[in-house]
Amino acid sequence: MNFDVKKMNRTDIAKVLLLRCKRNIIKGGQFFMNKLLMKAISLSVAMVFVLSLAACGTSNPSSTATTVSETSEATVTATVTPKPVTLTLWHQWAAPNDGNTKSFRAVLDAWNQKNPSSNIEDDGIDGESYKTKIKTAIAANEAPDIFYSWGAGFSKPFIAANAVLPLDEYLKDGTSDKLLGGALANVTYNGKVYGLPTSLSVASLYCNKELFDKNGIKIPTTFDELIDAAKAFSAKGIIPIDVGEKDLWPGMYWYDILALRTAGAQGCQDALNKTASFDAQPFKDAAAKLQDLVNAKAFNDSLFSNGYNEMIADFTLGKAAMCYQGNWLGGSCEDDKSLVKGKVVVVPFPTLNDDKGSADEFFGGAIDALWVSAKTENKDQAVAAVKFLTENMSNKLYEAGAGLPCWKVTGVDESKISPLTKQTVDMIKNSKGYVMWWDIFLEGKDADTHKNLVAQLFAGKITPDAYAKEMQKLNVKQ
Amino acid sequence: MDRVFGDKKAISLFVLPTLILFVAIIIAPIFLSGYYSLLKWDGIGKGVFIGIKNYRDLFINNSDGFGKSVGNSIILALLSIFIQLPVALILALVLARGMKGEGFYRTVYFIPVIMSTVVIGQLWLKIYNPDYGLLNSLLKGIGLKSLASDWLGDTNKALISVFIPIIWQYTGYHMLLMYASAKSVSEEIYEAARIDGASSFTTAVRITIPMIMPMIEVCITFAVIGSLKIFDLVWILTRGGPLHATEVPSTLMYNTIFNQYQYGYGSSISIFIIAECLIFTLILQRVFKSKS
Repeated sequence: MNFDVKKMNRTDIAKVLLLRCKRNIIKGGQFFMNKLLMKAISLSVAMVFVLSLAACGTSNPSSTATTVSETSEATVTATVTPKPVTLTLWHQWAAPNDGNTKSFRAVLDAWNQKNPSSNIEDDGIDGESYKTKIKTAIAANEAPDIFYSWGAGFSKPFIAANAVLPLDEYLKDGTSDKLLGGALANVTYNGKVYGLPTSLSVASLYCNKELFDKNGIKIPTTFDELIDAAKAFSAKGIIPIDVGEKDLWPGMYWYDILALRTAGAQGCQDALNKTASFDAQPFKDAAAKLQDLVNAKAFNDSLFSNGYNEMIADFTLGKAAMCYQGNWLGGSCEDDKSLVKGKVVVVPFPTLNDDKGSADEFFGGAIDALWVSAKTENKDQAVAAVKFLTENMSNKLYEAGAGLPCWKVTGVDESKISPLTKQTVDMIKNSKGYVMWWDIFLEGKDADTHKNLVAQLFAGKITPDAYAKEMQKLNVKQ
Repeated sequence: MDRVFGDKKAISLFVLPTLILFVAIIIAPIFLSGYYSLLKWDGIGKGVFIGIKNYRDLFINNSDGFGKSVGNSIILALLSIFIQLPVALILALVLARGMKGEGFYRTVYFIPVIMSTVVIGQLWLKIYNPDYGLLNSLLKGIGLKSLASDWLGDTNKALISVFIPIIWQYTGYHMLLMYASAKSVSEEIYEAARIDGASSFTTAVRITIPMIMPMIEVCITFAVIGSLKIFDLVWILTRGGPLHATEVPSTLMYNTIFNQYQYGYGSSISIFIIAECLIFTLILQRVFKSKS
């Protein structure tokens, strides 16, 4: 056949192709001489599909692995019940360089050893992802028996949806006496206790003393000294302050502590509780001071592309002089793999010279807690486990230098306490007030809005006055 | 065969299982989302019916930067059509004409498509890292230190930095589709063209491209729809930051639902994305029909 491409139109070309296709199919079909073979193959393929569909339906990885068991009458001790159960526990302590992880693993192993018939299967994922995971699971009624969560505003929707078991009656056996004063403040809702705290967290300024000494710079005790130190380090090409602003909350800590200094603890509490306005001079001053730090080039250039993990990594590699973080950073600093082990000191955040806040007011509180799902089938074992885990974690984290105790301290070898922890404990001995992390205290959209506004302050995209006005909108909406 | 194709009962029987799955997994959740978008709901407790207030908040007095995120996704769609597809087309034409190592190159270009997007995200995170990343080290090494910057942290550079891996990943996919289509063009047509003295460039432009035009139209549709829906790489690289510079509708929706406990409002964003994709598909189909 002759093909004159220029004279052919699309239909002709299509006809030619179709003819060729048909010819090829027939040629190919002749391969399968054996009709029986074809039938066998198609039948087995169909079987495979049907079986895989059935398998999809039965496997449900997020369902709890508890075997149904009749719980015996509630004698609330850590002793075993007749039928063995497996409890599921979700947490955010997955990173090996996180100060909390080692202590948690040690305590969990101790429970599993002592209670072979109430073994705990745990599942951990990093902090920000964990927030999404636990919210989704609770919304879908697939929460594990025990789960970690932050108290105050973060877990408020869970309690409102009746997803968490109240623990008041389980604490009457003397447990409540073992807790330190104020420990239950952030896990109590409507007068009922829903969770037990694992440790007290306090944020303070971590300073790499070696970098300060080597460069002849004084560790700051006032804000002006902080600016001077920042300028001095910046001139020498060392990162003065490391902040992982990609995750938004590390930068928020900086604004919140400055607000604590300018407005005082009571002032912050009032504004957060909507009984006072954010559109007030102290909050504007705090915003202005933050921008002073930004303009003095105090923060790392990569603050928007580095998150929490990179910040910890950089600080423990000795790349930055200061970091304002919670006391879990102490655990990371004192870890054997850290290059700054023994070189870091912890000081209270510098004071401003003319304000209501004083160095005895701290940012933090007992907010990390373990909770029991209201839908669990093994209430007694789960509560017993939570009591054991939280009390022992309180002690273990204290020992490891990653937390401060919120339970009365027992069985801790005080000589093993890291110097960083001792400094923190000394620091908070005379504390006059605490303000909780604002993004946990505030709920949902408010928390997100606050963090984003602080990020805009870091980027210089909003003035302190506009910032204060936007913050006040959180208090006056419907 | 003809007996089966003619028997309507047999057809409906064979189609039924897939239809059930399709309705249950795709259609039903769309309607559920539509229902949720009419509620004010935090996803966990009880929802309150508020009608179309979510849509009003979305379109009329929006404070989330929704318009900007839609703009970003449209920028990506345009970049896909005008950069990704031409590159894929050129590669496909070169490979389809037959050359040494054709199978090897085909595999190599397709590898980014089958890699997990999380892996690609982590790879590019490390390339873009301002301190030790490959890109900055390269620039400093060849003496262009002034160009080295915080690629994912600078609000001006973040958007284009995020789009480059996305475009890179799926070029191979479009290339493969066009390559398969180009391969099915009959060899005799090329012979005839060669006899008539057409150069390979003329052959490509005048013969191959018109013949694979249906496939190119399919690729354009895929590229546009994919760009409007993009989520994973943007989320891994920047989470929609810094300061919403790289926000796209799906990251906005994710943040709204999981960080702000606003399930109803987030559902209205998802319904918008679905409607947007449908509208664009229809527009593209109209354009292609009128062209042919």
